Amino acid sequence: MIDPRAREALVEAAAGAWRPRRPGGGVGSHPAWHDLDAAGREEAFRATTLSRRLEAALDPEGLSCTARAVLALIRGRP
Amino acid sequence: MADLDHHLPAIAAGDDQAYARWLAGAEPELRAALRTFAATADTEAVLQEALLRLWQVAPRFTPDGRPNALLRFAVRTARNLALDEVRRNGHSASLEAGVLELEALGRDDAPEGPDPLLRRLILRCRERLARKPRLALDARLAAGGAESDALLSARLGMKLNTFLQNVGRARKALAECLRRGGVAVEETRP
Repeated sequence: MIDPRAREALVEAAAGAWRPRRPGGGVGSHPAWHDLDAAGREEAFRATTLSRRLEAALDPEGLSCTARAVLALIRGRP
Repeated sequence: MADLDHHLPAIAAGDDQAYARWLAGAEPELRAALRTFAATADTEAVLQEALLRLWQVAPRFTPDGRPNALLRFAVRTARNLALDEVRRNGHSASLEAGVLELEALGRDDAPEGPDPLLRRLILRCRERLARKPRLALDARLAAGGAESDALLSARLGMKLNTFLQNVGRARKALAECLRRGGVAVEETRP
């Protein structure tokens, strides 16, 4: 049984928009996502959905951190 | 939802600002379309990869004449990538679910773009956040997904777990503040 605080940290980490790059250049999955069980992954999905909505609402252009991350890659920024 | 295909000619011509406007409208539907993969694939990674590939193929994309052709194509691309990821993770899945949802992406009169009332309210809510949750939230917003939480927390002088706790507190406090302001924010569907 995983410690509740450690689980919460994994959910929050997986709910962020940062993702590692794969050696071939693709977008890799978050290590924290792999450490969660199915219920934790579902929880992370819900937290992600809400986070992106809030981020978009806070952004003057209506862009979430997912959109910002993708645009940064397209525009050639790390 | 609004038909976002009016951005398509500019996107196909390589206009990343037009792609940004399309993304602002399309992302919630795309994420919702990956809902069924939540436990078997990292849908955030899948979505970002799908959006990168979509940008690459957009100049060669031919719309089918129905509203939101690019969005429907994006949903199919994202679901196929999710299936690959599911198999890589050792699970089984099929694409049968969700075909009807694709048909529902037709045009209606919904306005496109950020909701100014929601933005005003959420900015007020952010002002009311406690200091540490606000610092954590602002760090994530400023990074725009380009920097890891380990980097952001180190910059703020917070332990990683404390930083992540504060991110969660900020999200819950914002959602609660919005709810008190009359805006219900669901966790399942943006």
